[in-house]
Amino acid sequence: MMSKKQRLHPAAIFFTLLKTIKELVFSIGVIGFLAFKDAGLIYFLIGTSVLILAVVVFSALSWYRYTYRLEEGELRIEYGILIRKKRYISKNRIQSIDLTQNIGHRIFKLVKVNIETAGSGVGTEASLKAVKLEMGEALREELKTVQKPIENDERNEGTNYNLPKQKITTKRLFLAGTTSGSIGILFVIMTFLFSELEQFIPDSYYENTFQTIISFSIIIIAVLILALLLILWLLGIAGTMIKFGKFTITKNNEELFITRGLLEKKQTTIPIRRIQAVGIDESILRQPLGYVTVYAEVAGGTIEKGEDFSTILFPIMKKSEVDGFLNKFLPDYVSNRNDLIGLPENAKTFYIIRSTILLLIALIAMLFFIPQFIWVPTILLLICLYMGLLRYKDAGFRIDHEQLTLRYRVINRKTIILFHKRIQSFEKKQHMIQKNASLATIKTSIVSKFGTGKHYKIKDLAVEDIMELTSWYSYRD
Amino acid sequence: MRQPPINTIADDAIKAWKISAIIYISILWIIIVAGLVISIIFNFPLWYTVIGSLISGLLHYLFVYLLPKVRWKRWRYEVFEQEIYIQHGIIIVSRTLVPMIRVQHVDTKQGPILKKYQLASVTISTAATTHEIPALLEEDAASLRDRISALARVNEDDV
Repeated sequence: MMSKKQRLHPAAIFFTLLKTIKELVFSIGVIGFLAFKDAGLIYFLIGTSVLILAVVVFSALSWYRYTYRLEEGELRIEYGILIRKKRYISKNRIQSIDLTQNIGHRIFKLVKVNIETAGSGVGTEASLKAVKLEMGEALREELKTVQKPIENDERNEGTNYNLPKQKITTKRLFLAGTTSGSIGILFVIMTFLFSELEQFIPDSYYENTFQTIISFSIIIIAVLILALLLILWLLGIAGTMIKFGKFTITKNNEELFITRGLLEKKQTTIPIRRIQAVGIDESILRQPLGYVTVYAEVAGGTIEKGEDFSTILFPIMKKSEVDGFLNKFLPDYVSNRNDLIGLPENAKTFYIIRSTILLLIALIAMLFFIPQFIWVPTILLLICLYMGLLRYKDAGFRIDHEQLTLRYRVINRKTIILFHKRIQSFEKKQHMIQKNASLATIKTSIVSKFGTGKHYKIKDLAVEDIMELTSWYSYRD
Repeated sequence: MRQPPINTIADDAIKAWKISAIIYISILWIIIVAGLVISIIFNFPLWYTVIGSLISGLLHYLFVYLLPKVRWKRWRYEVFEQEIYIQHGIIIVSRTLVPMIRVQHVDTKQGPILKKYQLASVTISTAATTHEIPALLEEDAASLRDRISALARVNEDDV
């Protein structure tokens, strides 16, 4: 059906045009600024119009030259204006096809098709910037060897009713937003922006304002800060809603299929055999409420801008729902997470020392130099002490046949479920003090995105337990 | 992992490490001599350079005489039919298991210092990690590389 040459939707010209102009706008601005100085405005205007015309011609030409077709089980793309390039991608080599719609696409009912093969690297193997939605879906159908569900909203709702599927509810989504922890990050960004902004405000104005603020009572400042925090928090909620809105996960044979996003609609395919490990993340804010995030480490593929290293399988669910979810989508990864072998009693000291030593030094230093602010590090010290104890309490592992469950905490509590054949190497580390206490640290490595490794460490396990782990992992005997 | 691996690396590794340590330490010495000259010319107090040379002396002893020997003693490896077992580390002792089916490729390499003593190092890469056996006799390194590469040629499950 698609053996004849196809072009992208003409809107692609527009997209390329916008992108190029966006990249050029800064240099044009600088030149324009210089031109004003030398009264060469007319040359600048001529130059700019020539440049824009050139960009228009370039965008149109590159659209005209860009063709794709399906032939002999290959996707064949030909492009390039002066140097003609041809890229053939065999159907069997294609790992995943993602469809993305940003706002521009949605207006024209278009979609961007990203095609990934196993080759690691930044950027996708082939990216069709703008094709008609039906065309994109048809292309996906054609390129997949396995039959896929057509996930186009209500239109085909009836055809895949029997596939395992889970959607996020608005209530949950809202809860995910409120506990997203993006407040902290946003706060840092805002502080940075404000500190930069300071330079541009004239000194006199700045001083006047400052005087006025000082004349207000401290309460008003506190209210202002609270209001700011509230706004940041609301932004965090909005961010999560936009990113994970309409989150749906569907399983079809050997693939997971994830759709998400309110403004930019993203559809991702994850072949199950490429999943290296499944993790359950209990963030410090969500843990007390009993909510977790389920994610997966997927091998190969590429990292696009702003994408996470781990692939989120479901943004938020109750702890008690995890087993049901895994049973439905990844039955191999159900594990006895609540019955782990923990750390021996004497490891506790190591954990406490590790998490408090720096602050303890700071505390002593402050005691000498500025004793009036001593309460700051004292409170921090108590928090760190508590975190150390939590880290000690939470760390553990469990072996079930070929399955290994690891649990550790840095700030969030993470439980990782992985399989013997997925572990690339196993390492035991021990320093002198650990040796005397019969403790050691283990590290397992798996493949993750972008062809890099992901490493899981558990510190201060008992040496006998490590023996058990080693003989489980070792191919000898 | 109860027993350490049995094979040690080449004896000349100590010499090779000493030479590279001397190269690094000599940079420190040059700085100290330069400091001494400047101090004398500009009449700066000399005790900075005295402390500096004491520290350098200590580092010189540590990195040139003591650590290469300890490091050599710790470095062990053993290649089994189905996995590679490596031990290294001075203060923190690491023991690593790398299954043959996980090995992606094996390299040998040789810099000018290793070449002087007819040594080469072997690098074993998996999809997630790399492991190095630092100094083996050239022929040992080559045969180890060939052996691992032959053993690693088993049919792999999908990664």
